[in-house]
Amino acid sequence: MIEVQNLTKSFKDLVAVDGVGFHARNGAITGLLGHNGAGKSTTLRILYGLLKADKGRAMVDGIDVMTEPLKVQAAIGVMTDAHGLNPRLTAREHIEYFARLRKMKKAQIQRRIDELIVTLDMGEIADRRAEGFSQGEKMKVCLCRSLVHDPQNLIMDEPTNGLDVMTTRSVRSILLKLKKDNKCILLSSHIMQEISALCDEIVVIADGKVLMQGTLDELARRTDESDLEEAFMKITRRG
Amino acid sequence: MMWSVITRKELKDALRDRRALGALLLFPILGPVMIYFMFNMIIDIAEEAGEVSLPVVGAQYANDLVDYLEQNGIEIETVNLNAAANPDSDFYSEAQLEEIREAIRSRRFDFVLLVPEKFDKLIGASRSSNIELHMESTRTTASPKIGRVDGLIQAWGRETAALRLITRGVNPAVIAPVNVVRVDVASQQSRVQSILGMVPFFVIMAAFVCGMGVAVDVTAGERERKSLEPLLVNPVPRYTIVIGKWMAAVVFSAVGLVLVMILNFFSLSLVPLEEVGIVFNIGSLEIIGVLVTTLPLALFAPSIQIFVGIFAKSFKDAQAYLSFIMMLPMAPFFFNMLNTQDREFWMNFVPMLGQHMLLTDVARGETPEIIDFLLAGLTLLFFSLLFVYGASQLMKRERIIFS
Repeated sequence: MIEVQNLTKSFKDLVAVDGVGFHARNGAITGLLGHNGAGKSTTLRILYGLLKADKGRAMVDGIDVMTEPLKVQAAIGVMTDAHGLNPRLTAREHIEYFARLRKMKKAQIQRRIDELIVTLDMGEIADRRAEGFSQGEKMKVCLCRSLVHDPQNLIMDEPTNGLDVMTTRSVRSILLKLKKDNKCILLSSHIMQEISALCDEIVVIADGKVLMQGTLDELARRTDESDLEEAFMKITRRG
Repeated sequence: MMWSVITRKELKDALRDRRALGALLLFPILGPVMIYFMFNMIIDIAEEAGEVSLPVVGAQYANDLVDYLEQNGIEIETVNLNAAANPDSDFYSEAQLEEIREAIRSRRFDFVLLVPEKFDKLIGASRSSNIELHMESTRTTASPKIGRVDGLIQAWGRETAALRLITRGVNPAVIAPVNVVRVDVASQQSRVQSILGMVPFFVIMAAFVCGMGVAVDVTAGERERKSLEPLLVNPVPRYTIVIGKWMAAVVFSAVGLVLVMILNFFSLSLVPLEEVGIVFNIGSLEIIGVLVTTLPLALFAPSIQIFVGIFAKSFKDAQAYLSFIMMLPMAPFFFNMLNTQDREFWMNFVPMLGQHMLLTDVARGETPEIIDFLLAGLTLLFFSLLFVYGASQLMKRERIIFS
């Protein structure tokens, strides 16, 4: 469970996040929807402990990220916006590295990685070096890394950005399965289809402010637009 | 230990990097190879100085002196001049002198002894005469030979003077109240000290060169690859991450140090030092001592490089800064070259200078004091930890995730 209250963050003169508040419950996929530069990434970075908020609170499972960032990081899996890999390490070694950093046992690591490789259909690239991986293959490795410790909360920054249809679909099915396992999933996106296909809750962000939070139906009702894109345009224009 | 997870991963990565491996293996070979060839050159020069051939103009005017020189192992080479003599003067003409100068300049000779026509007559009459030794003083290879010839001529002069006094019933001691007797207490090894002085330089340099590739790759490289942000998301304190990365570079630096050391001893053992009467004995105690002295360098050099790698905005940035850092090992080397005063206590507290002194001592065959070992080592340890602490602070900046 993730809860954010009145989060504010400025870089010099630029107010990137301005009093953002929302919550993401277990067993649901919550989507942060907004333009590029709306403050989605900054909000997520505060949540996973890489940036310090000037004001406000961010809690994961009741733990405050300001006071106990390492505990929060232990309770979440994160897929960052950056998908860099070490070109000389294999996919399996990348995942293993993160599993070790999360203090998993050796036998447990191998079992878990084999499981993920099957789920994400990565058998072919598992023992290949990352040099020359396609964007989709890189993202799969990143997704595996963020899931290897089976976190209760999953935070993803633009998880399907630049993926082909096949991979996007397999990512979607994984997220839906995690949701069924009562995990809390928070993702950001600027792609309407993505959000409307996946998310139970939608948080619309523009200029660092939350303009609206609700289900797809609620947003449609409150804007009188059945199409999310139209609804989004209406909301952000009004903001 | 959590940091060792990071170290192991970085080492696995670095060992697959041909560039990093190349630096690790190539640099340690460079120094010992150079030292080997320079020693061989010095030995050649020393051997040549043993058999001196002396070009003499007018050897027939100084029969006694020439005999004396030949008895002392100097080979006399009689030189006949082509230029016209000066009929009015009893000394050589300007044209003849120019011919000699030209012969030296063109490297036909390194030096020429010029005996004036009246030499034997003046000496026979108990008078004194000039004798000219023409040379090119910048030609260092010739200087030991010139020194030997000069010394023999002086000795002959003293003998002649003594004989003159004896024939007049005067004790030669009257004009020689003081005799300087040189007793060289320098061990044989200090003769080659100038070259051995390069050993510490190459050792310190190796600590910097061998770990640098790894140090930059795991910091600025990681940032440029965009793999730093995903790493920082794991519940691992920043200082643990910095220590893990530092240790990976330390391993490379230490391996480089040990390699350069082994190769140095190997190359010194290949040089036929005994041919010039130098005994170079390095026992296992000295080797252990040198290792203890130098290993803190393998902590120190990567600590600076990690600090700079994290400070830099990009890989290129880091490389630019580090090319300046590479000058650091030269500082103690030049200081030692210019420094004429003795070792002082405070020098132990200057990073790398202490190590340089210790290594120079060992190379000279002297055993340094334990306290110097300890202080120089602790100084480096202190500065290493300082840089690692600084690097951890830099790693905590929010800026670190923006490229």
